[in-house]
Amino acid sequence: MLFLAPVMAVLGAVAVFPIAYSLYISFFSMKLTRPNRTPFVGLKNYTDLLGDEAFWGAVWRTVSFSLVSVTAIALIALLVSLLLNQEFRGRRILSTILLVPWAIPYVANALMWKWIYDSSYGALNGLLYQLDFIDKYMVWLGDQDKTLFLIANAFVWKEVPLATILLLVSLKSIPSDLYAAARVDGATVWQRFVHVTLPAMKPGFMLVMIYETMMAIRHFDLFFILTEGGPGSASHVLSWHIYVETFRNLSFGSGAAMSYLLAIATFALSYLFIRTLGRKI
Amino acid sequence: MSDMPITPPVDTIDYRRRQKIGRIVQRLVIFASAIVVAAYVLAPVSWLVSSAFQTETEIVSIPPHWIPEEPTLRNFEAIFTAGNDEPVTYDTRSGTDPAAGDFIPSTAENLLPSMANSLIVATLVVILNLLVGVPAAYAIAKIRFWGRNASVYFILITRVIPDIALVVPFFLVIRKLGMLDTLGSLVITYLAITVPFTVFILIQYFEGLPDELDKAARVDGCSRFQALIKVFLPLSMPSLVAVVLFTFLTSWNEFLLALMFTQTSASQTLPILLASFTSDFTVSFSFLNAAGVLAVVPPVIVAIVFERYIVSGLTAGAVKG
Repeated sequence: MLFLAPVMAVLGAVAVFPIAYSLYISFFSMKLTRPNRTPFVGLKNYTDLLGDEAFWGAVWRTVSFSLVSVTAIALIALLVSLLLNQEFRGRRILSTILLVPWAIPYVANALMWKWIYDSSYGALNGLLYQLDFIDKYMVWLGDQDKTLFLIANAFVWKEVPLATILLLVSLKSIPSDLYAAARVDGATVWQRFVHVTLPAMKPGFMLVMIYETMMAIRHFDLFFILTEGGPGSASHVLSWHIYVETFRNLSFGSGAAMSYLLAIATFALSYLFIRTLGRKI
Repeated sequence: MSDMPITPPVDTIDYRRRQKIGRIVQRLVIFASAIVVAAYVLAPVSWLVSSAFQTETEIVSIPPHWIPEEPTLRNFEAIFTAGNDEPVTYDTRSGTDPAAGDFIPSTAENLLPSMANSLIVATLVVILNLLVGVPAAYAIAKIRFWGRNASVYFILITRVIPDIALVVPFFLVIRKLGMLDTLGSLVITYLAITVPFTVFILIQYFEGLPDELDKAARVDGCSRFQALIKVFLPLSMPSLVAVVLFTFLTSWNEFLLALMFTQTSASQTLPILLASFTSDFTVSFSFLNAAGVLAVVPPVIVAIVFERYIVSGLTAGAVKG
């Protein structure tokens, strides 16, 4: 098919080939520190990972970061989309304002939050101090227990708008006679929400869950700019681990093995969401 | 509400009054939540903007000045005049202690070129996306052929792969092609990220247009290609705009791949330069914030201008099925 040829050529070259190549590399011990010796090691890169505490730590932090942020994104986006589905004065302005975080580059977002969390002059310290919640300035990103949450907060702020738009699209597709019928049947506001609104939002939720989970488990920029995996290893997530392993330790083989595992996990999760929440894409 | 009796009840409850109060309460709740949402979204950005207009002495005040007391444009001035003369620092201008962070990085002069790089890459990616994406989406939506479903799944699967998994193979390939530190390397790799999405959105939209259009065009003697150009493209403007917008923003904002493949100002994009500022501990905060504002302005303007197409473009793409 002539029309399809360009797309297939492009995707073959820029997506399929790299992935196949990534699998290939993952079977070799490829270290740029000794570029001429790249022995085939079979599954060793993978089996090494199984016993690697740093790897499992990174996996665990990725899972908690994703759980926290995706849950928050879905809940906030649900509330905001319900709000935007109402008719009120200023609705259009609000929905335009909502686009701002979505359009902001991730790096600019990271920069902005780094400035907000700044330990000497940041807005978070300033605000909490003025409101008397804290009596001295805190080193927010230096706190092992809070770091992951603070990064998640920056991530959620950036992601809520798109999730909201996706959910709003589902909400708008609900025919109004469904609500009329439910009213005639004497359904309360809550019953209408549970039995009419929520089921209709399923496709929207499916998209949000797939998209945001994928974004969360592969997210890199905020970790790079805000904490570089620190303090200690508090924000050492999988994407950061792959970056360090590949481009700082120059260990391409095991980096590729991890990337490949991450790709498989992402794919499996998306499949799971599609099976549980939707019929088809 | 409609389950209330229509005839006025005999007892003393005034239903009409109750309904009115209910409506006012509802209004108030909606209004209050709208304010909360707007504040949540705008507060961080406003602070970034506010600090971009503060002087270096004001920006380090404790507690922070939420609104600049002596607003200044000198941070932006520093960016736009950087590279004209000697490396400019606020230090040379105001005579304060450079250790206090009153410093403009020497790479500041790369800021405007990096914006140009971002713009070039994003524009090329948008054009290439339309060139390969539109015919493919048309074919999948309107032509029955063997392997049609398989093509859809193939395209979807390529988007599930995390960018980080593409980094290593891309790096090796691009190094081998001698394309490291060129804009071309970014254009190629961004296609991998954007094309599946483009095709996906357009398929949904084309499928929504009636098949009869296609048939009528063919009866009138159009080739498949002419039918696509003359009949379908004009009708699919909203989804095309949505695609352009998404692709542009993705390319403008991308960071990870650009971080790997660019090294000098010849190919560095805006996000990379911005990130390089943040790792410099002596950098001026107010300068950094001004740079941040510059990075935010173009994509936000683009998004707001095309705002109404986003939902219609997504409606085409999202609610089917």
